[in-house]
Amino acid sequence: MSSPTRNFDPEPGSVRSGSAALGKNVTVKGQIFAREDLTIDGEVEGTVECHEHRLTIGPNARVQAGLKAREIIIQGSIQGNVDATDKIDIKKEAKLVGDIKTSRIVIEDGAYFKGSIDISKPNAAKPAPQPAPSVSSSQPLSQPPLSTPTPVTAGSVK
Amino acid sequence: MRFGATTGAPTKPSPKDAPPALTRHSSGFDQFCGFLRSTEGLSILDMSGASQANITFITSLGHRISSDDIVGTMQQCFGADFLDNQQAASNAQRFIEQTLTFPDESFDGALVWDALQFLVSPVLEDTVEQLLRVMRPGGMILLFFNADEKATRTPVYNYRIQDQKTLLQTPRGGYQRSQHFNNRMLERLFERAASVKFFLTRDHLREMIVRR
Repeated sequence: MSSPTRNFDPEPGSVRSGSAALGKNVTVKGQIFAREDLTIDGEVEGTVECHEHRLTIGPNARVQAGLKAREIIIQGSIQGNVDATDKIDIKKEAKLVGDIKTSRIVIEDGAYFKGSIDISKPNAAKPAPQPAPSVSSSQPLSQPPLSTPTPVTAGSVK
Repeated sequence: MRFGATTGAPTKPSPKDAPPALTRHSSGFDQFCGFLRSTEGLSILDMSGASQANITFITSLGHRISSDDIVGTMQQCFGADFLDNQQAASNAQRFIEQTLTFPDESFDGALVWDALQFLVSPVLEDTVEQLLRVMRPGGMILLFFNADEKATRTPVYNYRIQDQKTLLQTPRGGYQRSQHFNNRMLERLFERAASVKFFLTRDHLREMIVRR
């Protein structure tokens, strides 16, 4: 008699929330890698990488880590370098000691920050190459395509 | 040469006693901006704490900015009375350990604003030594000092850049006793610097540029 198989796949139709959270009573020591938005409100020691997503450091958070994300919102305490490809938003209750690297920064009055700021603008988007006009290989390029009608005026045809 | 404290009782700031916000034209900052515009990629230290205005202004010119709130450190280490409480060796040591904690020759420019007027010997000389240490040769330092020798209390301000010639002084934490310096005292304080330049002003603030 075979044992029943157990299916651990998500039920059809279920939807992932798209964000993760570490509560204020959670402590993590080590490396965190996230492939979705992440909110940290506890204690973290190590590194946090959240490429292409938003990382929020909540008001109760105490982080001693290097942070990398697309966008970083800071409300708590951080000791470590912060690297955001798009934007860093430092709220007035935040405390940040470390170096910042980003394209844009917003800092509210009252926020405590000690460190350096490097603003690196993203490379300007190169214009998309224009598609070459379609021309039949049997026609010389200097002549108009045969599909273009040539206007004929009265009396011009003999 | 020892710099002594001015007399006068320390005051506890109250809402009614809050100094006003001021907008002022600054010839010293105008000259500092000439230095900023002369090249890109400079490393600038702003000792008035992090602010959107200053960060945007400096980084828009293509420079790197570092922030350090020296007056905030004074408040942490010296409490309500800067001049009295920095006489305690433990407070002074704690202040020096937390201020200008950067490697040697880290900066091309520094905006010290008026912070040094709230320091007395020996903390003042120790801080100036650290300031010159973190500056690169040829680096430029902008400083302000209260020029009113009759003033017993000086408002404590944040300095926010409005444009190349204009600063916004926003009050923080009421008043503190401060030293009064004349030009000769300041020249001796920065005698290790390459050059010192003073700017005439119409108000009670003496502006100076020091070249490391």
